[in-house]
Amino acid sequence: MTLERVTKRFDRTLAVDDLSFSVAPATVFGFLGGNGAGKTTSLRMVLDIIRPTSGRIEVLGRAPGRANAPEIGFLPEERGLYRQMTALDTIAYFGRLKGMTASDAKREGSALLDRFGLAANSKMTVDKLSKGMAQKVQLATALVNRPRLLILDEPFSGLDPVNQGLLEEEIRHMSAAGSTVVFSTHVMQHAERLCDRLLLLARGRKKFEGTLDEARAELPARIAVVSRRSPSEIQGVENAEDRGEAGDGWRRWNVRLAPGIAPGDVLQRCTAEQFPLRQFEQLHSSLHDVFVHIVGSAEASK
Amino acid sequence: MKNILLVAAREFRQIAGMRSFWLTLIIIPLSMVIGGLAPQLIDKDEAARVMVIDRTGGSEAAAIAQRIELDRDRDMLGELSRYVQRHHLEDAGRGALWSQHDRWYSDADVAQFTASGGVNAAKAKIARVKAKDTPEFKASKPDYQIVPVPASLQGVPEAGLDAALKPVLKPEGKDAKPVDYVILVPASFGQSPLVRLWANRQPSPLFVSKVQDVLTRDLRARFLSAQGVPDAAARSATTIAPAIAISTPPPGGGAREAMLVRSILPLAAAYLLMISLMLSGSWMLQGTVEERSNKLLETVLACVSPEELMYGKLLGTAGVGLFMIAVWIGCGVFAAYATHGAIADLIRPALDPLSSPGTIIAMLYFFVVGYVSIAILFLAIGAMSDSMRDAQGYLMPVLLLIILPISILMQAVLGGNSGGVLMEVLTWVPIWTPFGVLARLGLGIPTWEVIGTGIVLGVYTVVLVALMGRLFRASLLAQGQRPNLKQMVSRIRTVEG
Repeated sequence: MTLERVTKRFDRTLAVDDLSFSVAPATVFGFLGGNGAGKTTSLRMVLDIIRPTSGRIEVLGRAPGRANAPEIGFLPEERGLYRQMTALDTIAYFGRLKGMTASDAKREGSALLDRFGLAANSKMTVDKLSKGMAQKVQLATALVNRPRLLILDEPFSGLDPVNQGLLEEEIRHMSAAGSTVVFSTHVMQHAERLCDRLLLLARGRKKFEGTLDEARAELPARIAVVSRRSPSEIQGVENAEDRGEAGDGWRRWNVRLAPGIAPGDVLQRCTAEQFPLRQFEQLHSSLHDVFVHIVGSAEASK
Repeated sequence: MKNILLVAAREFRQIAGMRSFWLTLIIIPLSMVIGGLAPQLIDKDEAARVMVIDRTGGSEAAAIAQRIELDRDRDMLGELSRYVQRHHLEDAGRGALWSQHDRWYSDADVAQFTASGGVNAAKAKIARVKAKDTPEFKASKPDYQIVPVPASLQGVPEAGLDAALKPVLKPEGKDAKPVDYVILVPASFGQSPLVRLWANRQPSPLFVSKVQDVLTRDLRARFLSAQGVPDAAARSATTIAPAIAISTPPPGGGAREAMLVRSILPLAAAYLLMISLMLSGSWMLQGTVEERSNKLLETVLACVSPEELMYGKLLGTAGVGLFMIAVWIGCGVFAAYATHGAIADLIRPALDPLSSPGTIIAMLYFFVVGYVSIAILFLAIGAMSDSMRDAQGYLMPVLLLIILPISILMQAVLGGNSGGVLMEVLTWVPIWTPFGVLARLGLGIPTWEVIGTGIVLGVYTVVLVALMGRLFRASLLAQGQRPNLKQMVSRIRTVEG
């Protein structure tokens, strides 16, 4: 999936601004950003639900369009089902809209319901299913055609913990089977656990694209030490925050290193300068920290 | 095309799964059956009992009884004629009065019929030619029955009759049969025209006029006799009447009744179009609103284009409408069959328009195109509304715009008015054209007008589908409050891609 200099404008609102990125086959790609960052608009353009104002999009080697539907699975952020249709008929209907035969769609639908523990509920109408069951049926409508490209828009929002786990499992399952998974989210923990590559969007513009490690490298390294003196005198330390007494004259410090300085460099200097240390711990930045650092706290809180 | 059919099939199944759909489907034929049975249920089944107290000697009572008998025989002759016509049994009695249809039977005709053996003789002749499965002729029950005057009333003076007749008109016993009419012809009748009538309910005008006619003739005969005219001449003078030869014009030839009969089918088509449109359109609207409010559209639009979704919905709804009409027509055919063709005979003249292929094509064209042109409005309303409450805001003005002028148009056609400025305007404004043309087809509408309005309607529908298609596409995923007219125009002008 490739987007090249894609822009989408609604009247006076610039929803997506000159966005370019590529998703390699068989990767899990996270599309991160706050509300209004342009994630849903970008995904809708990929699906040809709306068209870009300018730029070029390529999906599975073709232009966006319904011809791609048989190879795409899509779970939108705002999900619904036909209340009077049975669970199995609903899945089979979407399977047929994606080009499956009636028998294949029914068979695959039954298999999915079985896998999700809903085999006994397959003939129940949607309005009689619990919310959690309905969420599973929604997921099944996206998976029924065994898509090569699975697009999930904020897939974890509104899911109960059990279904969140189920969805994570399905994403891993699809990826292992060779499918490409693109999902948007503003919950960074899911992205950290699942994504091979990430893209950070803010106000429709790309702010970052790369792996999780590359994202973390965007932030200065941090260490936690227990020492008698402030470590700010060590070369390469940008800032040391006193976190209080650690007993027997020792104190805890949160230390932020200068850009380009690795924790190992500081440890080596401490040893060389005989700076007494009782504890030295490298702190890993969370994706949330990276996100806040890159897009700013105001954007991140949206 | 496959996606359109899939969407249409789902739409059809969804509507067919609604209880209201089946209720509506049943209610209309059921109401027609009830409407047909109601008069029979309301009508009193028994003959009205008539008592004539004749104090002139008995000649007036005999004249009234004779007249009632004559009219009864006339009714039976008419019924027999219709039976013979319905079952094509004219061969049973070529030249017989009952094998001559659509004519008025004079007193002399009825007398001739009775003299030649009446109903029984006719039935014997018919039995020789009728097929085994042809039902027997059954005459309807008589309207009146003459009952004798009880001895207890014979000597009661006129002044005492009011009280004496009370138990006769409203007897107290459970099984006692009341007398419906009591007529007193006083001994002074002739010198005085006064006759009294007691009735146990509002007297039937037909009965009163029957009695009045008999007694008027007698009064005139008495008057002429008093003027010196011989009795025989005076009696004959009262029966002198013109022999009116009645000619029924060919259907559509100008008589209002004939025109109305011919208009039944086109008018029914217009009504069916309106009813099925309003019902299936509102169900489609409900379905579209549900898709929006249930956040279903994005999932659907990832698989089908907005155009496929729109055409699928239109097709599914049209299928529902046509299915309803087919069921109703099927009920009509079943009723015609079940009543041994009695209903079919009644509506046969109404099917006259179907003898012309041009009329059939015109009816189908205006029905189908009319359906699409209005259903697309319902669809666009559904696409713009997040709830049925929102939809009602748009729907009411549209419904009023469609229904009010149509009601006027239908009334005009029922009144036999096929021309006039208003009718022309309603026929040429595309939103009303299907109803206007369908309603006027039976009364006669110039061919050039049918073709002209057909072209205008076709162009209007194509443009409307294109514009509403844009509005539908632009509104599907639009958020926020329902759009005003300016926003709607803006959406229509927006061309995606």
